Amino acid sequence: MKSSVTQLTALAALLCATSVFAKEELNLFGWSEYVPEAVLTGFTKETGIAVNFETFASNEELLAKLVAGGGNYDLVQPSDYAAELMIRQKMLAPLDAGQLPNLKNLAPDFTHRPHDPANKFTVPYMGGTVGIVVNTETVKTPIHGYADVFQAKFKDRIVVLNDNREIVSWALNTLKLPVNEINAAALAKARPVVAEWIGLIKLYDSDSPKTALLNGDVDIGIVWSGEAALLWNENKKFQYVLPAEGAHQFLDVLAIPADAKHKAAAHKFIDYILRPEVSKLISEKFPYTNPNAATRKLLSADELANPASYPAAGKLESFRDIGKAAGDIDRLMTDLKSSR
Amino acid sequence: MLPLASRPFLPSGLKLLNWCLRSWTALVFIFLYAPIAVLVVYAFNASRLNIVWTGFTLRWFNDLLGQTALIRAAQNSLIIATLTTALSVILGTLGAWLLHRYRFRGARSIQTLLTVPMVIPEILMGISLLVFFAAVGMSLGFSTVIIGHVTFCFPFVLVAVQARLQGLDPSLEEAALDLGATPLRAFWLVIVPSLRPAIAAGALMAFTLSLDELIVTFFTTSAASATLPIRVYGMAKVGLNPMLNALSAIFIIATVAFVIFTNYLRKLRH
Amino acid sequence: MHAFEISHPATDRRHPRWRAWLLLAPMLVWLVAFVVVPTAILFVYSFCERDEMGRVIFSFTLENYQRVFDPIYLRVFIRSIAYAGVVTAICVVVGFPVAYCIARAREEWRQKLLLLVMVPFWTSFLIRTYAWITILKQEGLLNDLIKLLPFSVAPFDLLYTPTAVIIGLVYTYLPFMILPIFGSAEKLDIAMIEAAHDLGAGPLRVFSSVVIPLTMPGIAAGVLLVFVPAIGMFAITDLMGGARVPMIGNVIQNQFLQARDWPFGAALGMVFMGMFALTYWILLRMRRSEAIT
Repeated sequence: MKSSVTQLTALAALLCATSVFAKEELNLFGWSEYVPEAVLTGFTKETGIAVNFETFASNEELLAKLVAGGGNYDLVQPSDYAAELMIRQKMLAPLDAGQLPNLKNLAPDFTHRPHDPANKFTVPYMGGTVGIVVNTETVKTPIHGYADVFQAKFKDRIVVLNDNREIVSWALNTLKLPVNEINAAALAKARPVVAEWIGLIKLYDSDSPKTALLNGDVDIGIVWSGEAALLWNENKKFQYVLPAEGAHQFLDVLAIPADAKHKAAAHKFIDYILRPEVSKLISEKFPYTNPNAATRKLLSADELANPASYPAAGKLESFRDIGKAAGDIDRLMTDLKSSR
Repeated sequence: MLPLASRPFLPSGLKLLNWCLRSWTALVFIFLYAPIAVLVVYAFNASRLNIVWTGFTLRWFNDLLGQTALIRAAQNSLIIATLTTALSVILGTLGAWLLHRYRFRGARSIQTLLTVPMVIPEILMGISLLVFFAAVGMSLGFSTVIIGHVTFCFPFVLVAVQARLQGLDPSLEEAALDLGATPLRAFWLVIVPSLRPAIAAGALMAFTLSLDELIVTFFTTSAASATLPIRVYGMAKVGLNPMLNALSAIFIIATVAFVIFTNYLRKLRH
Repeated sequence: MHAFEISHPATDRRHPRWRAWLLLAPMLVWLVAFVVVPTAILFVYSFCERDEMGRVIFSFTLENYQRVFDPIYLRVFIRSIAYAGVVTAICVVVGFPVAYCIARAREEWRQKLLLLVMVPFWTSFLIRTYAWITILKQEGLLNDLIKLLPFSVAPFDLLYTPTAVIIGLVYTYLPFMILPIFGSAEKLDIAMIEAAHDLGAGPLRVFSSVVIPLTMPGIAAGVLLVFVPAIGMFAITDLMGGARVPMIGNVIQNQFLQARDWPFGAALGMVFMGMFALTYWILLRMRRSEAIT
């Protein structure tokens, strides 16, 4: 018993030591599963740079860990509104376009998003939307927007994202109010709408809303486009619709923190990701909208036909950072949810 | 003193009670293992998305072999859990004994302080520990993760051992001391063996808590020390891969096989 | 009947000498470094203001504490305590017989049974919970079993309801009730049971007058180890309850994540932990004075 403890301590020490002795390395902090292992091993094989991939499961976790003083990362993967906040707080380092020749592969409608119009600090990774997925076998009426979803006949058959800001923004969309202006007046108007909706929703799930839809516990969902794309791949009965009142479009990006130690390696990785054949690997695992125009040419017809990955045009809006107003949204939703 | 079970003539009332208790225990075990059975069965499910049974396959076990990151995370979890359990048992047992044995000022405050790691919401513990580590310049990795785990695991050991100490015969230690043992030897040779079931219970709880810990680990880990729960948590987005079921199944089957095997060895020895 | 402990004669307690303090030191140092100091950090945060990112700005304010006592959060507190209480009560009733059985099983089986109680929880939490979802969903295994019954019963719609949450919580915390009770009941003095029986007590009386009081420390430990973590628990509510109703754990977590208000989260945490610690300390005082009289 005693010897096995010493053995284990030695093993633990060895593991710590080997990470110190690694040569050039890249510390990547990204979404779980968003960077396929094939991409990481391919990069290491080509450049000899080891990649230490640490994962998070939400933008807020990323921000919280960085702010609390955790970790020295060379590359992070925020979404657009989180990146906007980090740029404003001067947490990101400007990119050196000279080290990124593959930037030209990007499609133009992804490169001038409001969070970083000149693409000085961020490079688009994957894009997506938040929309409505409908089980067309059980739902026969046409669904075009939020108003169609939240009808009394669908009571307890709806799943939505467990994201307070999303839900409030949908309410603002139906009221034709701007989604990025969160103030007391707007929230007061949104309150009765959301209260009514809450009575109809069966469950909230941001991690895997597809589970409830596949299980048949719900028939309609307002989910990330990637989830809807996976559902469509599983069964074509799940159709994706961009809400007519307005849909949230988001962009996940790669960025280099200001205090990164291996900026050159980070640039190499970004350039590697921008290669069409590498980006294709990401699309295969994670069917969001690929911003790489050169990759689009390599995708199969089935992948391009996925209405969730590459939706028809619609009214799309990006989220801007709302700063302290996020707290007011949280308070409103906590109040409404807990008064049931 | 014969154990109750081996008395030749048991009154029927007590027999009935025993029978009821045993059936209840069996039912509870069925309850505990129901989702595990489902989980193991689905490890052989041909469908990727793990919702409906579509056919039998061994491919997930096969795929698991190539998953270096996942296997490393599982190894990390085991290493961290084992070290956490060892430290928690030491801290917890010593602490319980000293709090029980001696009366001193501040004992009540220490007792209350021990409940803080149990009641504190994990995000508060995670962030405050991270701020603390950043302030003292400690870099994140195995040691910080283990510190976090031990902090909320050892109170469980301590409470379990304390409960047993409260029912322990005080004359036990007195007898040992009367026979000339130092308090330390009395503790090690007489008290600890009588605490063994409680220590075992505490160790099992500590190990389990450490294996499944997510939030505190997230804030105190580095890439090298990432544990299985952290890797698994984001996987739900792409659909929890049945490889995870396979991994869990291997774990369960290995442990149950170990139990049966050691039982068989013991039978052989007799 | 003493609720918490069997009293010892006063001569038993000695004042600790330097060797005892030396042994106590590691735990004290640990507590100070990794419990007191981080809690102090949170305490300071709770009086601060925040910037747009949610970070703390070191300027004193009492606003956070004023906001804590909003009826919204009070409702959430009470709900969390209620759930934890119900779960603890169910765990005591369900878990005690199991712990008792294992404690009285044959010697070689005891450790193994204990291990077998814990082994299900060495699987990944998410996988385990999704397995429960597979069982409880509308087209799930539970409803499939119902269909096999000879008489017709309406199919259960358990998932994403409070019942599912309670099932999930009891499942998660049952071992933490069984194990401490076992740890304390393992060497139950059989002579006492035999004696009570010889005096003519029926099995139920034996149980209530002899077994329960002797295993009280274990039960109290189990209650502590289930109730306390359960009040802060929210992962099960989110997964099996569909995140329909926020628990205090959710609310505090949100403050550090989506709501970006660390000081308020710290204040909520302080009040939550403070109320608990105070209640526990008062109970300890009561217990001590009970033992003396």
